[in-house]
Amino acid sequence: MSVADTINAIKPLHGQIVPIRTVQETRPPEDYGNAYVAEVNVKASSKVIKALDAKLPRDPSLPLNHLRRFAKRENLPASLRETLEAKGSLRTGTPTIFVLIAPPLPDVEELLDLLAPYAPDTYGATSSEEDKPVSKITLVTTTIPLQPPFNAQQATKWSETMWPVLFNPAAPRLTVAPPAQILNRAQQSIQPRAGHYLALARKVAAEAKASGRGRGVGAVVVDPEIEADIEAEAAKQGTSNLDSWMDAVLCVGGDVRFARSEAGKPSQTDLHPGISPNPACSTFDADLEGGPDLHALMRAVELVARCRREDSEHQAEMAAKPSPLSVVYADPQLSSKLSPLESYFLHQAGFPETSASNATEPITLSPKKRKHEEPNPESTAIPLDSISTDLSTQPQNETETPLPAPPPSTLATNTDPSIPVPEIEPASTSEGTTSRIRTRSQGGYLCTDLDIYISHEPCLCCSMGILLSRFRAVIFPRSGRMKSGGLASEPVIAPTPVLDDEGQEQEQEQEKGDDERLYYGLHWRKELNWRALGFEFVEEGHEDVEDEDGVVFNA
Amino acid sequence: MDFPTTGIQVSPAVAADPKHAYFMQQALLMGEKALECGETPVGCVLVHNDKIVGYGMNDTNRSMNGTRHAEFLAIAEVLQTYPKSILQSTDLYVTVEPCVMCASALKQYRIRSVYFGCPNDRFGGTGGVLSLHSDPSIDPAYPVYGGFFHNEAIMLLRRFYIQENEKAPNPRPKKNRELNTKFEDGDSSPATPEINTSL
Repeated sequence: MSVADTINAIKPLHGQIVPIRTVQETRPPEDYGNAYVAEVNVKASSKVIKALDAKLPRDPSLPLNHLRRFAKRENLPASLRETLEAKGSLRTGTPTIFVLIAPPLPDVEELLDLLAPYAPDTYGATSSEEDKPVSKITLVTTTIPLQPPFNAQQATKWSETMWPVLFNPAAPRLTVAPPAQILNRAQQSIQPRAGHYLALARKVAAEAKASGRGRGVGAVVVDPEIEADIEAEAAKQGTSNLDSWMDAVLCVGGDVRFARSEAGKPSQTDLHPGISPNPACSTFDADLEGGPDLHALMRAVELVARCRREDSEHQAEMAAKPSPLSVVYADPQLSSKLSPLESYFLHQAGFPETSASNATEPITLSPKKRKHEEPNPESTAIPLDSISTDLSTQPQNETETPLPAPPPSTLATNTDPSIPVPEIEPASTSEGTTSRIRTRSQGGYLCTDLDIYISHEPCLCCSMGILLSRFRAVIFPRSGRMKSGGLASEPVIAPTPVLDDEGQEQEQEQEKGDDERLYYGLHWRKELNWRALGFEFVEEGHEDVEDEDGVVFNA
Repeated sequence: MDFPTTGIQVSPAVAADPKHAYFMQQALLMGEKALECGETPVGCVLVHNDKIVGYGMNDTNRSMNGTRHAEFLAIAEVLQTYPKSILQSTDLYVTVEPCVMCASALKQYRIRSVYFGCPNDRFGGTGGVLSLHSDPSIDPAYPVYGGFFHNEAIMLLRRFYIQENEKAPNPRPKKNRELNTKFEDGDSSPATPEINTSL
C-alpha cells in the first residue's frame, strides 16, 4: 500500500473536542480580605457613597467591582445579619441599609466620624431634636472575596456566606482564560476535521514505533487558513469539506528518540535493526531516552522551520554570517532523516497541485525512491558549503532525504493547461511559489497561527515549545493523557453509573485516571507571555486514559 | 577573587568557589557571540570534570525555530562526543535562568546542577515563573543557583533590546533610547529587561 493510499484509507476518530480549562479556572485563587459593614439610614445612601469615595483611598489593583456596595437586611448572609443584630442593629424602626467599606481599610474612629451624619435615627433630624441621644453607627468586621467569582455558583455561594456578589461572565476570563468568542470560533473550526488529523497523528505514531526509531508518538501540523479555504471551496462546489482534509497538513513529525547517535556510536535503533518496536520502548531508562528535542512535537516544529529557511534572502544572510556553533549544521534533530509519512507530507506541502488536482491518482512517493534522486541544488543550499569542513563535524549521511525540490513557479504551472491551478495556495501571492509552508520572506514566522495535533499529551518541555513556537492551538486525544504531560489542568471527571439504594441507576461524578501527577495547564497561563488554545479530543465510547505499554515516559 | 553575585539564591559557600566565576564568564562570552549573530544574547557552557564539553547560544533567528535555545545546542554538542549519561555529572552555566522548556529538558537530560546569571521573570522554569527543577516528576530534581554576574547578564540583554529590529513587521524607532547602565544597589532581584520569547 502506498503512503497516499494509507492516508486516503485513514478512518477518523469519532468524538468531540473539549477545551482544556486553565489552571486558574480549575483552581481559582480564593483570596479573601477583611471589610467593614456599617448600617446607615436608607435615605442617605447616595450621600454615604459620596462621602466614602471622597475621603477614603482606593487600591487600583483591587477594583472589587464584583462586590455590591449596599445590601438590604434581607439580602445579608444569615451569619452576618445575626452578628449585626447582636451588635445593636434593630429589625424595627427607621428603614436602614448596610454599606460595605472594602480594603484598604480606614481607621475605625475616622470611619465612624465620617458616617455619623448618616446614622439611622439621627439622619435628617432637625436642630430642635438636638438633645435626643445620638444614634450610634453599628459596624462589624467581615470577610469578603477579593477576586471576582469565576462562575455563577461561586457568586451564589459567596453571596450566601460573605457578602452579596455580582457575577460578570466576561470579567475573570480576560486574564485567566481565553476569551469565550475566540475559544468558540477556534473550537468550531477545529471540530470537523480533528478526528482525521488525530487519526493521522496515530498513524505517524505507529510508524515511529514500528520503525524502531522512537516511541509511538506522532504530531501533525495544520494551517487553519488552508482549512478555511477548503471550507470555502467546498461550500462553493457543494461538496463535503471533509474530503480534502489532508490538504491543510503542513507536515507530520514522529518520535525518533532512539535514533540519534551519541559519541559517534551506533544509536539504539542501529543496535536493534529490524526489531519493532525498539526494545527500549518497554522500559524507562533515562540513558536510552534520547532527549526532548527528538520528541514528535519538536521534530514537527523543526520541519516547519526547515521549510521556512528555504528562502534565498535568509540563506544568503546566514551564509555570510555562519553560526559559531558547528553543531547547528549537524542536524541534531534528525530533520533530514525522514520517515515515509514525514517525507510524503513535506513533498505534498511543496507540490499542493498534485493533491489538489489529482486526488484519484495520488503520486506515490517512497523515501527509498527519493533517496536516489539527485539532491536538488537549491535544497542543499543550507550554508553547509559555505562553512569550512572542519566545522561540520558530522559527515553527510547517505540516507539523508533532501527537502522536496522547490516548487515550480506559478508561471511554469500555468503553462500546462492540464494541471488546474489549485485553489489552496496561501503562499502563492508572493515569490510565485505554491508551497504550503511559507518562507520567512513570505511572512511565515515560527509556527504562528498554526494548529498542532498530537497523539499524546506532550511533556512539559514540548508544551512550552508549543508556546515558544506560537501555535494557535494544540489538540490531543484524552486517551493519550500522560502522567508527565504539561497541558491537562485537572483529573478526568466522568459520570459513572452507580446503583442507588433502590437499585436505580444514577450518575455519579467520579475522578478517573491517575491522580498522582501535577496539572500544569501550560497552554494558557496568565503568568506566561504566550498562550495557546488547548483542546482534548474525547472519543466516543473511549474515554479512559490508556497506558502506553504500561511505561510512563515523556511524550 | 571579587565575585559579583547579587542574587539571593547564591550561598556564600557556592559563591566562594572561583571556578564558578570562570565558567560563567565563558557563558557570557557565548552571549556576546549570540549578540554579534543577531540572536537574543543568552549563552551557556556545560562543564564536566572542570572541563567545558559543550558551548551553546540562542539560535532561534538563524534556525527560524523558536525552540532552539542555547541549552539544546550545548547538549547536542556534548552528545557528539559523549554518551548522554555524562550529563548526570555535568553542570550548566547559563547567563539567564532557563525557560520553562529548557528547565524541563535539563531535567529529562538529567543535568547535575544549574548556575545562572539573571532571573527570567517571564518564562523562567527554575523559580522565575514555575519551579520545574524541584517539582516532583518522573525525572529527578536538580539544584539551581542564581545571581552569578547578574548585572553583566542583564547588560547583554539591554544591549540587544536597544537595537532596532529591522525585521519586525512595524519596526519601533529606538534612536533616542540610551543604554541604561544603572543598577539599584542592594536590590536582590532587579526587574529583568524585556526578555522576549527567544530565551
